[in-house]
Amino acid sequence: MEVKVEGGDESANASYSRICQNVFREIGLHGNIDNVYLYCNPSEHVFVISVKIGRVPRPITVNDMTLRGDNRLKITDEKYAPRLLALLWDKFGDRVKQLSRLEITVDVGAKDMEELMKMVVYEPRADLNIRILDAVDRILPEGARVRYPLPSPGRVTIIASENPISEEWKKRVEEMVTLERGGL
Amino acid sequence: MYKIMMFSGGVYKFNELKELTQDIGGFILQEMVMQMETMLHLAFPAEEEKVIRNKVKEIGGKLIDLPLAGAEIMIVVPSLGRHHAVNPMCDIAEFLRRKGAITNMMGLSRGVGKRIAQITVEEKRIIEECDAAVFIFGNFRECIEDKARLCEGLEIPYIIVGGPPELDIPHYVGGIGRKTERMKRKHEIENLEKMAEGLRAELDIRRREIEEDPLAASPLFLKELIDMTIPPKPGEEFSTIIHLDGLRVKLEPGEEKIIRDIEIQNRKLSEICEIKKSLYEGYLLKILPEAETGRVF
Repeated sequence: MEVKVEGGDESANASYSRICQNVFREIGLHGNIDNVYLYCNPSEHVFVISVKIGRVPRPITVNDMTLRGDNRLKITDEKYAPRLLALLWDKFGDRVKQLSRLEITVDVGAKDMEELMKMVVYEPRADLNIRILDAVDRILPEGARVRYPLPSPGRVTIIASENPISEEWKKRVEEMVTLERGGL
Repeated sequence: MYKIMMFSGGVYKFNELKELTQDIGGFILQEMVMQMETMLHLAFPAEEEKVIRNKVKEIGGKLIDLPLAGAEIMIVVPSLGRHHAVNPMCDIAEFLRRKGAITNMMGLSRGVGKRIAQITVEEKRIIEECDAAVFIFGNFRECIEDKARLCEGLEIPYIIVGGPPELDIPHYVGGIGRKTERMKRKHEIENLEKMAEGLRAELDIRRREIEEDPLAASPLFLKELIDMTIPPKPGEEFSTIIHLDGLRVKLEPGEEKIIRDIEIQNRKLSEICEIKKSLYEGYLLKILPEAETGRVF
């Protein structure tokens, strides 16, 4: 993960670079982020953070985390078990029974069972956005509570300030992020 | 004037050290025995330091100076969120405790930001109950310069810490900004040392002022008297905290009257102290100067 911090004085930039590295490592996103660009303008109290999302693991389907035997499913990765049960109960209600910790029966036909096996249990990309926003929240100064997200593909960009964010700043940041996209 | 030092060593003859301290008119402020290890905080008249040093040499052990002992220090952060806790807030508090201070930590209700940062009158009063304060204001020069206004008008010594190495504001120590990891590197420890040294210098000025206009009774003496009247509850730490010019006493409801009526020579404690309820914890005893109360001893 590459981190670039600009705008503040030398000590502030160095400190925030370290904060970015540590926060993403703590949250466990170090491997999923390509680069982070942080721009600080403390005199106008405007902070911009732009996170480029790197490679994300593919969605986990029922097939990936269970072994099928007729109407019976044996969970092979218990980490996703609560999500699987919630999903099945939501879709099939009382027809789903948990026999033991890792065994489930689903009272459906063979065709439905085929479809069930393709259902997505966990989408890392959806979770990733929440975790990235958590990291962004931890990095940006606490007083910068007015936020403006700038949508762009594969990138999470947020402008934060304690004052209302002006149109001028939104334009400036758009240009900044376009430049960064080319540079990094 | 009393000097406060920490003895750490074995249990061999350490009772003799305690007795000697009491014989020369000193006090045992804190005592901890951990199997074969002992730790004592001793307060004794400064001119008797040699006697204590000789005894420590005889029984074996170390005598460590506690420059901030006898002071309660408030660590103030803009909020109690994870931006400031646990690092660097707890690092600073721990370092000050190692220097002998009793520390409290406080997050301001609206202290975050630059323009929007505020401190309430009540918060200021709570901070002023302590002997000194350390304000942690983050990494940005512009923010620290702007937020220095929060400390204006404080009637106690204070230090502002922040990221930039040097700033043109009074009572500032640099290199202690926002952190996400423990301060354990050499240059970080040096910065903490600088901060402790700054606090010591500020507290020494206050100590000299008190020496010029002496108090009716020493806070150390009153602490012993209070602890004898209302013994600390089992498991309770620091039921009585020493300040430079008074005490903070943690009391149960109804015990305030007992404290007021404690007799010192022919006087009552309430005659030589201003006693008021703390906004934060317990009761505050502010010892009046001898010039106001007349000679007590």
